[in-house]
Amino acid sequence: MTDYTVSSARMEFDKFIIPTVTIFILALLFFFMMFPLWMILKLSFFEGGELALANFTLSNFKQYFTTAYTLRSLWHSLYVSGVTTVIVTIIIFFFAYALTRTTIANKTFFRNIIMLPLVAPSIVQALALIYLFGRNGLITSHLFQTDWNIYGATGIIVSEVLYCLPHAFVILFTTLSAVDIRLDEAAESLGASPFKVFTRITLPSAKYGIISAAALTFNLTITDFGNPVVIGGNYSVLATEIYAQVTNLYRFDLGATISIILLVPSLGAFMLNYYISRKSFSMISGAARPFIPPTRRLKKILYSVYCYLIAFSIIMIFTTVIIGSFVKVWPYDWTLTLAHYSFPSIGGYSAIWTSVWISLIVGVVGSFITLVAAYAMETRQPYFKQVVYFFSVMPAAIPGLVMGLGYILAFNKPYYWFYGTPWIIVINIVICNFTLGILSSVSNLKNIDPSIEEASISLGGDTLSTFFKIIFPLSRVAFIQNFTYFFMRSMTTISAVIFLVSATVHLAAIEIIMLDNDGWTASANAMCTCIIVIVFVMLGILHLVNKWAGKTPSTEMVSG
Amino acid sequence: MSKNLVLKNISKSFGSLIAVDNVNLTVAPGEFVCFLGPSGCGKTTLLRIITGFEFQTSGDISYGDKNLNNVIPQKRDFGIVFQSYALFPNMTVSQNIAFGLTMRKMPQNLLNKRVDEMLELMGLTEWKAHYPSQLSGGQQQRVALARAIAIKPNVLLLDEPLSALDAKIRVRLRAVIKRLQHELGITMIYVTHDQEEALSMADRVVVMREGQLRQVGSPWEIYKHPKTSFIAEFVGTSNFYEGHIKDSHVIYGKYSFEVSEIDKVDSEKIYLAIRPEDIEIVGTTIASDECVASNIVEVRTELVTFLGAVVSITVNLEGKEMIVDIAQKEFAKKPVKEKESLYLYFPPDAFHVYSEIFKKLI
Repeated sequence: MTDYTVSSARMEFDKFIIPTVTIFILALLFFFMMFPLWMILKLSFFEGGELALANFTLSNFKQYFTTAYTLRSLWHSLYVSGVTTVIVTIIIFFFAYALTRTTIANKTFFRNIIMLPLVAPSIVQALALIYLFGRNGLITSHLFQTDWNIYGATGIIVSEVLYCLPHAFVILFTTLSAVDIRLDEAAESLGASPFKVFTRITLPSAKYGIISAAALTFNLTITDFGNPVVIGGNYSVLATEIYAQVTNLYRFDLGATISIILLVPSLGAFMLNYYISRKSFSMISGAARPFIPPTRRLKKILYSVYCYLIAFSIIMIFTTVIIGSFVKVWPYDWTLTLAHYSFPSIGGYSAIWTSVWISLIVGVVGSFITLVAAYAMETRQPYFKQVVYFFSVMPAAIPGLVMGLGYILAFNKPYYWFYGTPWIIVINIVICNFTLGILSSVSNLKNIDPSIEEASISLGGDTLSTFFKIIFPLSRVAFIQNFTYFFMRSMTTISAVIFLVSATVHLAAIEIIMLDNDGWTASANAMCTCIIVIVFVMLGILHLVNKWAGKTPSTEMVSG
Repeated sequence: MSKNLVLKNISKSFGSLIAVDNVNLTVAPGEFVCFLGPSGCGKTTLLRIITGFEFQTSGDISYGDKNLNNVIPQKRDFGIVFQSYALFPNMTVSQNIAFGLTMRKMPQNLLNKRVDEMLELMGLTEWKAHYPSQLSGGQQQRVALARAIAIKPNVLLLDEPLSALDAKIRVRLRAVIKRLQHELGITMIYVTHDQEEALSMADRVVVMREGQLRQVGSPWEIYKHPKTSFIAEFVGTSNFYEGHIKDSHVIYGKYSFEVSEIDKVDSEKIYLAIRPEDIEIVGTTIASDECVASNIVEVRTELVTFLGAVVSITVNLEGKEMIVDIAQKEFAKKPVKEKESLYLYFPPDAFHVYSEIFKKLI
């Protein structure tokens, strides 16, 4: 009865698609993640990096731990990250509380402002703080004429706090939104005082979120490179110590050793976060958020003031950098000028254009490859699903700087043609941000009714047709979101690529450090401003595209 | 199209759970078979084995002389209609219907002709350029039907296709599916938990429970001669009583009933089932000599519930509840009040007897 039939040859070929894709993804992760890590491990534990029993040595570690000059970077890192974690968690908890549990005005404004740090490299905070509280700071030397300045631990802590706010906010906002506010009401109706309700109900119900936010903050701070290198001065941390060992002293072995030392706390924090967030997801109920009861007047005023203070701090960071890039000599000569935007020392705008086109490629490649990997994993007949998942989540645990060093060790060979080209940067950024891309792709695919894929198969659809004609079009909103994420990360990342820029390939975010290092501070601000503007323009474009893509009738069913 | 679909000793287990247990079934060409059973009975798993989305743990499946054990779904040429419609949201109605044909590389002119035929057949012509999200549930399911039959499938498999729709549209689509089956002569396997759907549409009903086929037969057979107490309750409903056999009568409390099927059970203990609509009302009083006649009992009415076409009367029989359904028309002639005495007649052939009983029933 069937007149035209599905080609048998095509179906035979189809059997190899998913295994091939799976093997390709695994090979990619092995070659561009595990292999570099292995090189670091080898160089730190084996004499000259030669794998042999006789070469095994702990001398690198011994040297690190017995030299006071290098060892202090570990204590510094732990101290700075610990203090930052405590401050960020407390600040953000009350900020998220205000936005979810009180009736203060302008919540959308606060929510947008707190996310602002994501659009800039994690260096903007340090640049602004130096302009405000540095040796020639507007507030320190100009306003109060004091000799005190912010360089060192204080500077790192303040800038890291301002950098980590959005990351911790996302977690605590989700947690506090999900916890049922009726529990608080029930406790109140049973006669509990507001203080009791807070300590006995609100805090415990948010405990997973709090731990998760703290772990993430710790991880971000201890692995950050941009802020400490600019504002740390002589106060070295693990990340800056790795960089110094490698670029100043050419001690790759010590750099690798410190990388391993840095991996321990950052991996621990990451695993804690991963474990906790899995747990907390089960607590989130699907119940609609009920009405928030009116907040008492005094509480409302206090929370509003609190939120405005935080929002003001963030806005101040950005305005300082932007204004600083347009005035002649901060803070003495306020004449407006475009002179800082000519970047003569680095040959004009080429670094910016390189960054933009690398970011566009990273955006397309990253969002596409994570979607394909997620599809191979979530398809009807996945291969090595758990293995792929494990290796896909790993990149988030590895500090960008460590990965970058691993890339030098692994690929600095003449036969790796891509070394020293922009392609290694593209690969590095894609791999470093693989985790979030794949997690969001998986959650998007899980929203698509599995019957849709089966319908395609039952009608004779092979894997490629099903993916390109159905799954991909249905994922386009998620695809655009992932593109945005990859683009933004690529424009702003410093630590992942600092070891990979070369004499011929410059990146805008890295140039900020170079400019600052060479004393072109205002130009560094200008470069930072350029990145912010580019990211905002891209966000605007993508917002319009997203609106258009979300409006067509075809996507309404999946988004629901 | 003169090929049988044959399932031979099909079993499927997920770990220690046996979802399908040694199923044997032959579906004839052009036949409409319904898999009926409660949720978790294995009917959907069995359907998915037929589609190729699941593979049986053991047993053989074949279509005509072709063994399908290792044939992927794409090569089985079976059409599937899903409960959730599973239309491609990014394609118009026409594109949805054309999908299977495109995959078969049908030449464009023939393809367009076929799609137009399908649109016509399902009354969807004016919606052909719409996207699924712009259609009602009933229209979407018609698109899904059109999409599945456009490829001229060997067998059309329908997985609870109407259960997401509201009652009126459900009844209307039943007729559409039935008509399609008659006009096109397609072999259909239809999975449902709705006994009314199964009885009204199928040539043959397959009642499943715990992964096994419990009874296979025409709707009439299943309803009139339920093989097990479970089927007597699941298809339609029945009143159940536990009694014992004495002098070729069934003793229940102080009553002694004449039961036609009594020989079917050889244990002393016996379970009786009688359908509410098979019980006859004699009246509120009877002539004294009728009292001795077998199978007439006096009961007390407890509740009279008007349901529209029928009136349901709850009575108390030896401390156990009994439901008696009578047609509304009949009720009008002989009204029954609550809390009064009533005489009922149980025709001997209305009883079904079982030696075992589904534990939930008593």
